[in-house]
Amino acid sequence: MARKWLDNAFWETPKKQILNAISEEEIDNRQIRQVHKLNKLNDDGTENELFNEVIAFLGEEKIDESSKKRLEKKQAEAELEKSKKLEHERAKKLEKLFEYKLETFEITEIKESKNRLLKSKLRRSKSIPEVNLYAMMIVKDALEDEHTK
Amino acid sequence: MNTPSKGFVVVASKNSNFYTYAVNLIESIKDWYPESQICLVTEERFIDERADEADQVIFCDDHYRAKLWGMSQSPYDITMYVDADMDCEHEDIAKVWDELGDKDLVFHELTPEREKYYAIREFRYDNAIEKFTLCGGVCLYRSSNPLVREFMEEWFELFNKQQSGMWKPKEFDSHQFEKDLKHFDQTTLWYMTEKMDKYKDLKIGIFHDDIRWNYFTQYAYEGLKSIEGKPPILRHYSGSLQKDKLIV
Repeated sequence: MARKWLDNAFWETPKKQILNAISEEEIDNRQIRQVHKLNKLNDDGTENELFNEVIAFLGEEKIDESSKKRLEKKQAEAELEKSKKLEHERAKKLEKLFEYKLETFEITEIKESKNRLLKSKLRRSKSIPEVNLYAMMIVKDALEDEHTK
Repeated sequence: MNTPSKGFVVVASKNSNFYTYAVNLIESIKDWYPESQICLVTEERFIDERADEADQVIFCDDHYRAKLWGMSQSPYDITMYVDADMDCEHEDIAKVWDELGDKDLVFHELTPEREKYYAIREFRYDNAIEKFTLCGGVCLYRSSNPLVREFMEEWFELFNKQQSGMWKPKEFDSHQFEKDLKHFDQTTLWYMTEKMDKYKDLKIGIFHDDIRWNYFTQYAYEGLKSIEGKPPILRHYSGSLQKDKLIV
């Protein structure tokens, strides 16, 4: 069987100097599949025959097309990975924030405060500085209350 | 006919951190749903002025699964049990009662995409592989139904027997039971809902868009979201809190 080239070959560099392609051929009744990383030129500057064979078999347009598809797929995967990492970081931050809030609620003046509005604001805070801000307001409120008694 | 009473049950026992979590949960439910009725089941030794936030307090002992006993003690006709280490984040909490419909018990579901966050999901029973499907982190139930009340009481009693080694149906794999299942109230729940004829007529359901009602923080690691794209109502911090460490 003559050697075939799978149509998912792609350029490894924008200047199309390296080609990644998979060949299939039957040798001694065995199907052999091989991945090739092909330079356009050999070390001595002559043209790489295998490289030219792939282009002749698939056509440059086909390789351009699969290279574009592959790039888009890789970019989408990277984007997804990035957003997953962000989600993970956000979740971890939220867990830490919750623990920080619980700790803040244990401050005596806050624990004993009846100021529902400020306590609710503290509970809904989205960051540690925001928690600190409402915590200060609750403590100030408690101290003022104490002062007016 | 009288309107059935509706309220939340929150349980804190054994470890004082759970009392702190419970108080926070109660206040967070009240933040979004001020007219809600909440019953706190806790140990007398934990009580301080923050318990005033609860509408009713019932004392329990220091059992680490007092939650099961607490569920059977609900003073309401319709009850929403919520694990103490959760936080309420959304006004839809007030709509929880609509989730009951004609059901007797409503749970959060253990699905394949969520299973990596659970201690165990698959186990052997009668030479077949079975799966836990119901998660007891939240449970909405018709506590006015005597059979449901009995179910809750038996859940606690059977769990105690299971944990102390007095109860183990022979169909369970002994080694796995001892190692993974014995200390787990999910095991008792599975057996009661799947194998006990007495409870076969109970109508058991899953919350609509159930992820919102028991959103484990780890779900966010994988970006698991509500099917309707809505934010969590109750967020569950069970996997991230250091329960045995002092908060302050």
